Amino acid sequence: MTAPRVIETARLHVPAGSGLARLPLVACVVGLLGTAASVALGHGTRQLYFSWLVAFLFCLTLALGALFFVLVHFATKAGWGVAVRRLAENVAGAIPVLALLFVPVLLGLHELYHWSHPEAVAADPLLQAKAPFLNTGFFGIRAVLYFVLWGGLGTLYLRASRRQDDSGDERITRGLTAIAGPALIAFALSVSLAAIDWIMSLDPHWYSTVFGVYVFSGCVVSFISLLVVLSAAIARAGGMRGVVTVEHFHDLGKLMFAFTVFWAYIAFAQFFLIWYANIPEETVWYLRRLDSGWLPVSILLAVGHFVVPFFFLMPRTIKRRTPLLVGGAVWMLAIHLIDLYWLVMPTLHEDGPHVGLLDLTTLLGVLGLFFATVGWLVTRQPLVPLRDPRLPESLSFENF
Amino acid sequence: MPPLLPPSLPDGPTYGVLARFAGPRELLHACERVRDAGFTRWDAHSPFPVHGLDRAMGLGTSPLPWIVLALGLAGAAGAMLLQWWVHVRAYPLVISGKPLFSWPAFVPVTFEVGVLFGALGAVFGMFGLNRLPMHHHPLFQSATFERVSDDGFFVSIESWDPKFDAQTTTRMLRDLGAVDVELLASS
Amino acid sequence: MAPTEENADCDPVRGRAPLILGGHDFPSITRAVCDPLERPTPLGWWAFFLPSLGLLGLLGLATGWLFWEGIGIWGLNNPVGWAFDITNFVFWVGIGHAGTLISAILFLLRQRWRTSINRSAEAMTIFAVMCALIFPGIHVGRIWVAYWMLPLPNQMSMWPNFRSPLLWDVFAVSIYGTVSVMFWYVGLVPDLATVRDRARSLLRRRIFGALALGWRGSNRHWQHYERAYLILAGLATPLVLSVHSIVSMDFAVSQLPGWHTTIFPPYFVAGAIFSGFAMVVTLMVITRQAFGMQNLITIRHFENMAKIMIVTGLMVGYAYAMEFFIAWYSGNPYEGFALLNRAFGPYSWAYWIMVSCNVLLPQILWWRKARTNLAILFVMSLVVNVGMWFERFVIIVTSLHRDYLPSSWDYYVPTIWEFLALLGSFGLFFTMFCLFVRFLPIVATAEVKGVLPQADPHHGEERVVLDVSKAPAREATT
Repeated sequence: MTAPRVIETARLHVPAGSGLARLPLVACVVGLLGTAASVALGHGTRQLYFSWLVAFLFCLTLALGALFFVLVHFATKAGWGVAVRRLAENVAGAIPVLALLFVPVLLGLHELYHWSHPEAVAADPLLQAKAPFLNTGFFGIRAVLYFVLWGGLGTLYLRASRRQDDSGDERITRGLTAIAGPALIAFALSVSLAAIDWIMSLDPHWYSTVFGVYVFSGCVVSFISLLVVLSAAIARAGGMRGVVTVEHFHDLGKLMFAFTVFWAYIAFAQFFLIWYANIPEETVWYLRRLDSGWLPVSILLAVGHFVVPFFFLMPRTIKRRTPLLVGGAVWMLAIHLIDLYWLVMPTLHEDGPHVGLLDLTTLLGVLGLFFATVGWLVTRQPLVPLRDPRLPESLSFENF
Repeated sequence: MPPLLPPSLPDGPTYGVLARFAGPRELLHACERVRDAGFTRWDAHSPFPVHGLDRAMGLGTSPLPWIVLALGLAGAAGAMLLQWWVHVRAYPLVISGKPLFSWPAFVPVTFEVGVLFGALGAVFGMFGLNRLPMHHHPLFQSATFERVSDDGFFVSIESWDPKFDAQTTTRMLRDLGAVDVELLASS
Repeated sequence: MAPTEENADCDPVRGRAPLILGGHDFPSITRAVCDPLERPTPLGWWAFFLPSLGLLGLLGLATGWLFWEGIGIWGLNNPVGWAFDITNFVFWVGIGHAGTLISAILFLLRQRWRTSINRSAEAMTIFAVMCALIFPGIHVGRIWVAYWMLPLPNQMSMWPNFRSPLLWDVFAVSIYGTVSVMFWYVGLVPDLATVRDRARSLLRRRIFGALALGWRGSNRHWQHYERAYLILAGLATPLVLSVHSIVSMDFAVSQLPGWHTTIFPPYFVAGAIFSGFAMVVTLMVITRQAFGMQNLITIRHFENMAKIMIVTGLMVGYAYAMEFFIAWYSGNPYEGFALLNRAFGPYSWAYWIMVSCNVLLPQILWWRKARTNLAILFVMSLVVNVGMWFERFVIIVTSLHRDYLPSSWDYYVPTIWEFLALLGSFGLFFTMFCLFVRFLPIVATAEVKGVLPQADPHHGEERVVLDVSKAPAREATT
């Protein structure tokens, strides 16, 4: 019978003045510089807005994955992940900053979306049919509604969870559990529509009923990977040692594996059904990505987003060796970025990928500002929901 | 590394000793002691898998995942090969304008057959590694052993074990808290 | 053991509600599950078995007449070449998926409450797959050459068309059945040993002894067994997803509006789980009462099943909404017409039954009172299965009966033989299930024992202690 592990909750903070505490400031500077450089380099070009869109979507999908993680956690009354839930709450709590980062997309509406050109709509009966939905005004209103919903939920859950650190009030858990169900419904509908608005309508003639699910699967894979990286980084810096254990990483690894397979399933289902029926108004989207310089990227996605992580994440030993799992997580984040790039860029560059400086500066800009916010949230509250009723369960569970 | 397949039964008049313990906790502690005492030809028995007992017995990991992976991949490769051969070599037919080697259309069967072979590997591999079916075993002579599928928790040590001695082993098990200990003859 | 409903309202935020009630220990669980097997057959069992056997006879009649006369006895016409046959096929395959989900996916998610119902659910899967395979088998017309679907070398040098979803179905559903039987049997082995060890008659001991393969609870065996179980769970999970996705591809790979939508694979899987759980609820409400297992299959189990039903029902609702929206968004007049025709055309009665049963009525399950009331749950489970049958009927028949060319439009009316086949399939299902509950342990005894608190050797030991004494200096908070 081994003695129980004692964990002093007082130590579960990012120590003030540590390297980790300075990161938000560094990120903010990087973000501002990146944004300024992007504007300087790409002012007036379509490339600026497309690159910004990809970078924005990367951070948005991470934040939405975080929100999903938190909501599902409460809805299912999960116990295992309480130790990492605060990190997810922090990432979801940064959604309001994404609303600001969305403004350049609105500014570049005309450059990004073909359906926003009145002369194009006038000449195209299909665009006229969609005009009640795909028009600038309604698009803007929907965007506002999405951010109000997501930002509201993210902030609500973070604040309530934070309050529970002080009060230990069980009713907070009950309340958050009760609204998680309806919140998930709103989440599903809003994320699907946002995916249609911001990504699918880049090619306004094309449509796919499973597209919302496809983007959602990318959100979850990327966020779980981010959570692995964040948890490992903070644990390494001494912040959560003893709290986040190899059991948590094992579970996160299982989720990474499961959602990688899910992503592949949805991606293949979408491709396969369109390939098989061979109807030109549907195949045009894939042809643009297969019959051109984009083919290597498509193959890279199939191999790098499915085959490699499938075999890499399958063995139990890899999921239980944190450095290896972190390597896998970084890979998944990179390949998710490539996925988003592959979704968006072929509308601008039909012949093949043209990766340029603007892609880098916009990425630094958006990532910097987003992670500055996340980092700031992480440093200003406990790393773990200290008085969550299920925290002891999370700390002591063991995997198969 | 422990031997891949469990060795066959000991010869000689005595099979070994069988000791019953009160519950999972007592069984776990007893197993740790038996493992530490250096026994190798022994086993624990329970109505359900007791958490942590594998470690308490000093067992290595099961090779089953490798068997399953190998068979699964072989099955999938075989299915893809079959489909390629049927549609490209044996009876090539252009159907609904699809290429002869229409690999997306071959994915469903490939995947299913891979899963089938993996599952067969898991099931028959497990029974093989466990040397089951084995309908006759000296342990079944014991009347108390009937409780193994109900609420009995047992440790059995075979006489082939180099450290086995009828008297001292029985005494050791009693000292570890066994509720009853019996000596079993080879059937 | 007096039945108690004490965990109906037990929903602690700290800790977890007890899974098994009534103060069970290991021997009492063995008795609770095995005693019914050893008693003489109760009259109640005959009350279920004989009518089921009767319905099974109807199935024999309907299929026998079908083989003799041909598919013309059904109401199929041009353009509606598929109706009850494939609806029933998809319906039964869908029901089967819940069993695998309970066994495999809930196992991977460490949901210990599954142990009370997984044995029956897996059995349900096998019987559902048996019922499902009948329909594609009998609808081919020339059943005597059905073996042509298998890739066997033959004197005509003919091979099956691997590019066809119909053939993927053959592989997928039969492999699903095979793996389900294996998974079920592997889980049964320790419990068969339990029945063997309790057997008083030589015949019983011989039969169960043979089936139990000599299982003796050896931990060296349990080690490989647990690994195999985990691997089978890991394999069965993608199998569930892939099988019903492949079934959905029967429709989705076509060019027919209403059939060709990319969301079909996950939509069908969600629907399958929805209807499957409903069938599990139906079976468990009756079984639990009949065998007095209220302490093993508790209200909390039903509540969890009800929650899964809401979730999957909402996923189905999401798919309906997405289909409608994209049909409009696409600007494609055929797509739009197909969806409008569903809701307002000649089959609108079927459509609104489907929507009421699948989307509207199940919303009652948001209320705790409804989730924990077995009468309501039982009725809801029947409602959901009616709704899900109609969903497949609506998808198949409304999309076929009015497609691109109005001169080909027609209305389909089923004949008595199709109804008899559907009814008869329930006969097969319930006959098999009655035989199962009579002769085999209906609860996974070894697994249930394993989730009792006293099964954990570290039960009662504290593993982690949180020291909240030294609170840090509070920074300014929101």
